Amino acid sequence: MRISTGMMYQLNVARMAEQQNALLKTQQSITTGRRIATPSDDPVGAAQALNVSATDGQNTQYATNRDSAKASLGLKEGTLGGVTSLIQDIQDTVIAAGNPTYTDTERRFLAGEVRSRLQQLIGLANTTDVSGQPMFSGFQRGQPFSVAGGQVEYQGDSGHREIQVAAGRRMAVSDSGRDVFETIRNGNGQFTTAAAAGNTGGGTISAGSVSDPTLATGHTYQLNFSVAAGVTTYSVVDVTSGTTLSSGNPYTSGNVIAFAGIRFEVEGAPASGDSFNVAPSANQSLFSTLENLAHVLETTAVGVPGQAALGNGLTAAHSALDNALEHVLKVRAATGANLKELDVLDTVGDDLHLQFQQTLSSLQDTDYNEAISRLARQQLGLEAAQQSFARVMKLSLFDYL
Amino acid sequence: MGSSLLSIGTGALTAAQSGLATASHNISNAATPGYTRQETLQATNNSFVTGSGIFGQGVHVATVKRIYSDFLARQVLDAQSAASSAQAYHQQVSQLDNLLADSTAGLSPALQSFFSGVNDLANHPGSLSARQAVLSSGEAMAGRLQQLQQRFDQVRQGVRVQAESSVSAINGIAKDVARLNDAIALAETQFTGHTANDLRDQRDLLIADLNTHIKATVVQQDDGAYNVFIGNGQPLVMGNQASSLRLQPAAANAEQFDIAMDNGVVSLTLHPDSVTGGALGGVMKFQTQSLDTAQNALGRIALGMATSFNAQHRLGIDSQGVAGGDFFSVDLPDGIPHSGNTGNGVVQLAVSDPGLLQASDYRIQYNGSQYTLTRLSDGASQTAASLPTSFDGLNFTLASGALAAGDSHLLRPMANGAGSISVALTSVNAIAAASPIRTAAILSNVGSATLSAGSVDAAYLAAPLAAAVTLSYNAGTGQLTGFPATASVTVSNGGASTTYAPGVPVPYTAGASIRFNGITISLSGSPSNGDQFTIQPNNGATGDNRNALALAGLQTANTLANGTASFHGAYSQLVSQVGNQTREVEVTKLTQGKLLEQANSQQQSLSGVNLDEEAAQLLRYQQAYQAAGKVMQIASELFNTLLNLGGR
Repeated sequence: MRISTGMMYQLNVARMAEQQNALLKTQQSITTGRRIATPSDDPVGAAQALNVSATDGQNTQYATNRDSAKASLGLKEGTLGGVTSLIQDIQDTVIAAGNPTYTDTERRFLAGEVRSRLQQLIGLANTTDVSGQPMFSGFQRGQPFSVAGGQVEYQGDSGHREIQVAAGRRMAVSDSGRDVFETIRNGNGQFTTAAAAGNTGGGTISAGSVSDPTLATGHTYQLNFSVAAGVTTYSVVDVTSGTTLSSGNPYTSGNVIAFAGIRFEVEGAPASGDSFNVAPSANQSLFSTLENLAHVLETTAVGVPGQAALGNGLTAAHSALDNALEHVLKVRAATGANLKELDVLDTVGDDLHLQFQQTLSSLQDTDYNEAISRLARQQLGLEAAQQSFARVMKLSLFDYL
Repeated sequence: MGSSLLSIGTGALTAAQSGLATASHNISNAATPGYTRQETLQATNNSFVTGSGIFGQGVHVATVKRIYSDFLARQVLDAQSAASSAQAYHQQVSQLDNLLADSTAGLSPALQSFFSGVNDLANHPGSLSARQAVLSSGEAMAGRLQQLQQRFDQVRQGVRVQAESSVSAINGIAKDVARLNDAIALAETQFTGHTANDLRDQRDLLIADLNTHIKATVVQQDDGAYNVFIGNGQPLVMGNQASSLRLQPAAANAEQFDIAMDNGVVSLTLHPDSVTGGALGGVMKFQTQSLDTAQNALGRIALGMATSFNAQHRLGIDSQGVAGGDFFSVDLPDGIPHSGNTGNGVVQLAVSDPGLLQASDYRIQYNGSQYTLTRLSDGASQTAASLPTSFDGLNFTLASGALAAGDSHLLRPMANGAGSISVALTSVNAIAAASPIRTAAILSNVGSATLSAGSVDAAYLAAPLAAAVTLSYNAGTGQLTGFPATASVTVSNGGASTTYAPGVPVPYTAGASIRFNGITISLSGSPSNGDQFTIQPNNGATGDNRNALALAGLQTANTLANGTASFHGAYSQLVSQVGNQTREVEVTKLTQGKLLEQANSQQQSLSGVNLDEEAAQLLRYQQAYQAAGKVMQIASELFNTLLNLGGR
């Protein structure tokens, strides 16, 4: 083939430019440490890298969210710990108040202690987090519990604030004060027993229990006692339906009284006309429990009926406190489980972050071994091209003319 | 015979001199662009017929010709126009590639930081600084989108500048070719049988240059003139008459340009698809195939994000308890009427479903009885008897006036989507982080039933809750009562759903979802007779973060492209699309470059100057010259011999 001298120069220069270009590109990828300088270097890799770093960003955001959740849950757990020991202290007080040698004055001291505990409890229930958001107010930002007319009232709502702690997992980090402090079943959780207000005898009633849930009716019952000729009998009336279940039952102090799937004991000597009420459990706030207890302790226990009222009051307080403790421990357990879950999620999140970083690195970082050996190869190629070009171009017929 | 020898020698001398001159011309022009090597054609003189035979009468130079192949030259032109087109396209699309390359400056980090802000708000709904951060990072993200749009606009400006400079180059070349046509015809008619080699070289060089700007085909006329055609055979040069090109605002959209051709008598618009090859073809192709697509894809992300974020934001209430407004504002431009429209209709757009949005422009045409909506990216269309009508998640409405038969409007909802986005909220308190309703079970309830927190959808906005709704359970009938008197209630459980007319008691099914007035709740557990549940306006709930959580959830939700892509996903799709295109064009550029090189090599192999060859020619003609001189010397000696004879 005929060779044109101009073309020979052009082709050689073009080849060397190409090689220089490739060499520069390799050198750049070594200096920047990036395999992908622009998306066109590896469109799929570039898009993947974007997706991976976005997912990693979300993962990091979830970690931040978890920190916030942990702070809230930690505070909640601490507060509920305070509430737990407060309830336990008052339980001790109830037991102490049962001491038959205590006089009214001593019980008034105990009542004073209960009242100060009540103030402490209100304080705990109004705890706020660092940003001033109360822990137990639901969605409201105001102080959830306040005393109005001698009653502790809840000003919050029933909301739960949730935090996105992982993809697809939202965790409640705040509770409604209603759920924590007010939705507590009284009595034994199923039904509640109480002496009627005007009892004159010395009968006391136990908290009782459900013996056969299948027979439970949810009705309110009344036990009416009558004493005739030294013999004490009682009748059972279903107040809800207005029927008398049984009457003239002989009474023995301490014996189990059972009907409609429930059982309890009455002790002591009820007077004629005394009655006891059995009603389905309702919600009773922890504050009312303390308020009621203080009231029972402050009431002067005169004679047998006074002692009986005290005994009944303490029994009610005892079971209410048991229920409250159980309820608070349940909330605490859930909080603890949440905190534990957060720890697990943290570990998973850290692992994910590491994986994402590795994927990102393999997608967009330079493989130095490969890049440097490529550089050496390209350098050699360019040098060879330059030297051979110089030699070939030296040949000319004009040299011999 | 002696005189014959002398004249033969003279002819040979002249021929050798011509050969030397041509070789020198070749050597001198070895590096001249477009130069074609030349050769002297020698021929024998007419013979002298005698009785003793026919004697040759020496040599003469017939002509000087170019060593030129029409076929090879045409190959070079074709390759040249394709290579220039690919090069111009690559040069432009690389800008987009670089624009999206920076992972720290693209949309991705701004999007991430905005949603981080929303997440922080969900973590601390009552914190003013978290609220401020949402506003600021929202503004930063809108700003990033605007910057990207500006860069796109700059690239578009660059396309126009490139097109203008190509057009003015084409016009200059056309005039020069017309002038050279004249000069060549003149030279060649004056000296019949000879070609004006250097002029033809110049003209061929101009044609090659023309092909770097636009694909042009050449037809040679009998008088040697070139007729040059571009596009679908529109004549750019006819003999000594040159037409001129110019950019003019496009008929369908004055913001874009068309290429028009004037020949001094009429003006005609070249169809954009017919402008191929060369830098002009390259940038036109870039504009429609890469720039418009990428800009629309970005616009779709901006529009889709703004509308879906706004929709969720409106479902919440702000810290004053007021229903949320639009968080972002975006501007959907009205339809651009075609310049030939006779009606005065104004077509307006609104986004109805962000998930259905397509990255495309639209055309609406009216034929007097029905409207045809066409998606320009793929030509899919839909007809409607009247407006408003919906297509691809967009609502087309007639804002004023009417369309006349034959009218059409161009709608470019996505083109400026990224440029028009901004944060509409100004006050941190106006961020709707809370949900408008809250639910509760009444404290005196005896049963264990619990009511879910409840959620609202778009239907809620039509009938927001004014006062608390209290649902009561009747154990005897197993029914719930207390729903608003005018609301029908739909109960869905395990895929089956039943709708109850307003006022009709609703049977209780544990765990079923109950929906009325756009509110969805679910009651589970076992309620007791008379238990009550309230659903009430969420007043004073400055610590509620439920709507903020829902807003934060939009980051990972597959909102766009029929629920297949998140905002991030759509952006990385755009990046990969531009990356792929750039890569493809780069490969095309390299391939076309190689093809051009090969075509050039072949053409140069025939027409290029080889200096060694010319050196040999010099030697050859030098020797021929010396030999011819010898002939003349011998002729002179023969003559002298005759003279000496006479002198004796």
